[in-house]
Amino acid sequence: MTELSDELLVAYVDGQLARDQTRAVDKVLEQDEVIASRVDTLKEAHNRLESAFEAILAGEVSEAMAAMRIAPLPKSKPRGNGLAKVGLATAGVGLMLAALVAGYGWPLVIPDLITLGQRPPQQQPKPQIAVAPAQQPQPQQVVVAPPTWQEAATRAHALLSRESVEVGLEGQGNQDLVAFQVAQAIGPAVKLPNLEAQGLKFMRAQLLRFGDKPLAQMLYLGAHKDPLALYAMRGGGGDSRPVFKQEGAIGSVSWRDDGIAYLLAGEDDEAALVRLAEKIRNEPSAPEMVPPPRPEPEPQLSQAPSEPASSAGPSVSPATASDPTVTGSNPVTQQASPQPAAEPAPRAEPAPAPSPAQ
Amino acid sequence: MQAESHKQSVRHGLIAMLPRLKRFADVLVGEKKEGKALLRRALVRMLAEQHRYQRGTPLDRWAFAEIYQLWLHELRDHADPLGQAKTSEAGFDRLFPKDRKVEHDALTASFLGHLPPQQRSTLLLVYGEGFDHEAAGHVLDSSPDTIAARLIRTSASLADRLGSAAQTPATATIETLYPKRPQDDHDRAQ
Repeated sequence: MTELSDELLVAYVDGQLARDQTRAVDKVLEQDEVIASRVDTLKEAHNRLESAFEAILAGEVSEAMAAMRIAPLPKSKPRGNGLAKVGLATAGVGLMLAALVAGYGWPLVIPDLITLGQRPPQQQPKPQIAVAPAQQPQPQQVVVAPPTWQEAATRAHALLSRESVEVGLEGQGNQDLVAFQVAQAIGPAVKLPNLEAQGLKFMRAQLLRFGDKPLAQMLYLGAHKDPLALYAMRGGGGDSRPVFKQEGAIGSVSWRDDGIAYLLAGEDDEAALVRLAEKIRNEPSAPEMVPPPRPEPEPQLSQAPSEPASSAGPSVSPATASDPTVTGSNPVTQQASPQPAAEPAPRAEPAPAPSPAQ
Repeated sequence: MQAESHKQSVRHGLIAMLPRLKRFADVLVGEKKEGKALLRRALVRMLAEQHRYQRGTPLDRWAFAEIYQLWLHELRDHADPLGQAKTSEAGFDRLFPKDRKVEHDALTASFLGHLPPQQRSTLLLVYGEGFDHEAAGHVLDSSPDTIAARLIRTSASLADRLGSAAQTPATATIETLYPKRPQDDHDRAQ
């Protein structure tokens, strides 16, 4: 009987031997039944291990698919903070992986399941589980498990930027000023539509962020209705037609115009939202605005710009007028000559992030 | 712009691999619930520190290594790392889907459930993921020789079990003093 170690035989079964070594083992197997039997058992062990791991993966995939088929989208329309819901609709779509990480209910979001089983080219090709085409989910299919309020708040917080807090609300009544601020952040082609004819009053706007890109949120309120929000972000070449999507109680219509991506979100039905979206698309862009004129500086200040501002009294340089801690100027002076984006209101630290859900 | 597309590709790559990552975390921990929690923590870390991912490295290799490193790190911090690393047989068995038409291989499931986590992960990476020894060694922070040694030990051990299991039915027949004959049921029915 020939002595061949398990070390060699496992390498043989796993295909790790060089060609001549494999041939040598083949010859031994032809002549030695004991070793041939051992190799058969090792092959069976190898096959069973492969099958076991494939079964686990198949379980993960079928769980994912079952979740996609049965996961209930939140259908109830709880009356509550509509503003938060509008924000969450955007966050839910945009912060796909953040949602996954924050509220990981397996599988929260798997848009690319179709690529499962594909190996990177450098990997040794190997049979993987066969996913029946009929069971493959549509690539666009997104399933969001109902989040807890902590998860929802964490996601919404991700949209807050420093500018959201820094830009004061005093100027919100002046729609032209708001349009100027939004256009500065998003681009001159951005629209800040007047929807009063549709029964929606412009309430306020704020600058959020998505990643490191500014995201404008313009909020409208109609009588006895939840808020409606128009979001605008620079990016995405070309124009596109409005596309409606329902996320739980929130409906949304998204489209692109002049290099700006828009999302209109609210609790209205599809027809109403699409009609509003068409109206907004046909609106002219925000008018080119120049900053409100700065007050003429006092002659002595322009002649001596390095003088301390405190010596100027109420007629201080407008460049510092918005910062009372520097100038000591009073708020009345600031409102008379707002300097929106160049020098925002007194800098405040953004609110601390809420603790993630434990 | 490049950094943004890099981030996007890492994110999309991770999403596409989620079931594979979940399987790795489950097999490593030996239990579904803890595996899911480990994967969640690892994903948070991977997304926060994705700048550490070097272009050219296979993303799955990096992601598996991140999960393993996190698991190891947390285990070392635990007051009873050995106790923590133990796997319950029932917990591991739940990793296998029971509603499939494919017959459940209880022997292999039990065998895997009793292995130490590193050995289980080695088997998964080589036999489940098709990694070569070097790539598996990179993930598990071990040399290719160590990977080969683990494969030999575990394959031989499972083969021994299979060999002994194959002999069991013959022994059982001999030990049956009053074997039930097929006609017994027939007679009783009459």
